[in-house]
Amino acid sequence: MEAGRISIGTRTTPSYERGGPFGFMRGIAPAVSGRVLRLVLSTLTVALFSTLLIFALAYFSPSNPAATKLGENATPQAIAHLNHVMGLDRGFFAQYFSWIGNAIHGDLGVSWFSGVPVGTSIKTGLPVDLSVTGVALVMALLMGIPAGIVAGTRRGGFLDRGINAISSTAITLPVFWIGMVLVIVFAVKAKWLPATGYVPPSAGLWPWLSHLLLPAFALAVNVAAVVARLLRNSLVAALDENFVVGATVRGLSPRRILYRHVLRNALAPTVTIIGLEIPQLLGAAVVTEALFALPGLGQLALTAAQEHDLPVIQGVLLVMVAIVLVCNLAIDGLLGWLRPATRRKHS
Amino acid sequence: MSATRRVFAAPSTKVAAFVLLVVLLLTITGGLFAPHDPLAQDVPNQFKGPTSGHLLGTDYLGRDTLSRLIAGTRVTILGSFATVALGFLLGVLPGIISAFLGRTSEFFVMRFIDSLLTLPIIVLAVAATGLFSNGTGAVVIAVGVLLAPRFFRIARAETLGFASEQYVEAAQLFGASRFWVIRRHIWSKVLPTLAVTSATSLGSAVLALSSLDFLGIGVKAPAPSWGGMLASDVQYLYQDWSAAIWPGLAIAITVWACNAVADGLRDGLGAHAGGHGATGEQAPAHDLDSLLTSELAGAQGA
Repeated sequence: MEAGRISIGTRTTPSYERGGPFGFMRGIAPAVSGRVLRLVLSTLTVALFSTLLIFALAYFSPSNPAATKLGENATPQAIAHLNHVMGLDRGFFAQYFSWIGNAIHGDLGVSWFSGVPVGTSIKTGLPVDLSVTGVALVMALLMGIPAGIVAGTRRGGFLDRGINAISSTAITLPVFWIGMVLVIVFAVKAKWLPATGYVPPSAGLWPWLSHLLLPAFALAVNVAAVVARLLRNSLVAALDENFVVGATVRGLSPRRILYRHVLRNALAPTVTIIGLEIPQLLGAAVVTEALFALPGLGQLALTAAQEHDLPVIQGVLLVMVAIVLVCNLAIDGLLGWLRPATRRKHS
Repeated sequence: MSATRRVFAAPSTKVAAFVLLVVLLLTITGGLFAPHDPLAQDVPNQFKGPTSGHLLGTDYLGRDTLSRLIAGTRVTILGSFATVALGFLLGVLPGIISAFLGRTSEFFVMRFIDSLLTLPIIVLAVAATGLFSNGTGAVVIAVGVLLAPRFFRIARAETLGFASEQYVEAAQLFGASRFWVIRRHIWSKVLPTLAVTSATSLGSAVLALSSLDFLGIGVKAPAPSWGGMLASDVQYLYQDWSAAIWPGLAIAITVWACNAVADGLRDGLGAHAGGHGATGEQAPAHDLDSLLTSELAGAQGA
């Protein structure tokens, strides 16, 4: 397209679907690998931008690690020397590439305060986050998908209105407040479940799960409500489609139509929104960790933020972005499986 | 029916508008209507349940819960407004302009927006306050910047829909400039949808800022804020759990009111929820922009 002129009527598809800067590959690569290649290039570009952002945040921050490390009596020469030793007197891109290069090899640097390698701290904290968010996601789907199906197939009915009322309330509740109410009911009053702490799965399935149930449920409520409402709306829309009428005319049972044809189509927006929810889930996990005293990445980031511990903050953000990107790739694969049309469109 | 009438047609919107009006009044007046000094300690009277002197009881220092709730409104709501304003300013105009970009620059702009969407809001705000300064200002900037992609994507999706209308094409043929088209044809039509987005974003901002106050980032104790009150009450759940309920309810009711007003605005102003204008191509159901424009994406911020 010529620059400086608005082209009209062709702008309803995003650039990556029209080809974008990598559109030339449409002719070179076979259909499937073209889609995969485009996905990989998109992901790499997003990874480049987000790592640049994370690095820029630290690079332009006013914190002066050498001065902090050496204490109040440090001479300017000593500070300059330490900055040189730590490689902090180099340019932006030189520092960025050595940081990202080391990170790819698993070296995230060393905490400026505790001297512990960042990778080690993250290895201890990551299982906690993965456990909590993983269990939360499973809970959210177990609550949200049946609720969405029940509401969507009984449009306007008592159950539909009931589920709608519950989910629109659930969406407004802050995660930490849900968590607190759970602690009051199940830990303070009933004393059924522990209120705080984390036990690794190696200590046994129930001890591990019992420490996760409350925080994971607190996290799951919002996501379940979003999933239920979206699935309900897409089911209602999908049930009006012509292919449903066609399938009914062909004599397929309503159950078969729902589970084999309609649900598959209606799940696609739900899967997309789950992908969008994953960063939010990781963010909310930080709050839940604080409430339930779970030693996860959020607690690590929070302490590091209070100490201006740059390598730790960067490391935690980097790992979170990596998790989100991997999840996005998985979601994209799932969408391709749910909707063969998205695969064919690129061929 | 006038537009205002249509917006407030549903009873839930009327209730929600009243709630927001009360919240706004408390924001403007600050602690003026608080029955007690929100900072006055009365330790012998700690953990008192609701009485005629203390309608919502007292906290662990014997401070009046109702007064702290009222006094904490201002900082939470003002911060949320500032956050949404920042997100709007940073997101809307670039979003509209991005609809008129060439393919290559469009690809990179969209990937930049995607990369902002991969960062969890809370974690980035924690990092930003740690790296720059721990205060309400840094929190507002961090959350505002991460709300901007939402405004960007919605402004862009709407613009893409209207840019393919025939009257825009006609204006183009008559030699109208890109700027003139945006000002004359796009801006006023994108605004209703953006009003809906602003309302839902306000709810998200209240949730996000309260979460950060809960983590001890932003408002500093002993100054009251809704999230901060929860954080201190949580320490004393085993002594008295009732005080911790109220700030959570205040947050939930405010967020609900924002969402309900957004629903009213959507129905009353004819803002879109997904698809575009008459000739615009119907967005595919799995398209991110149409999902964001739909009612569901709005409530989730924290």
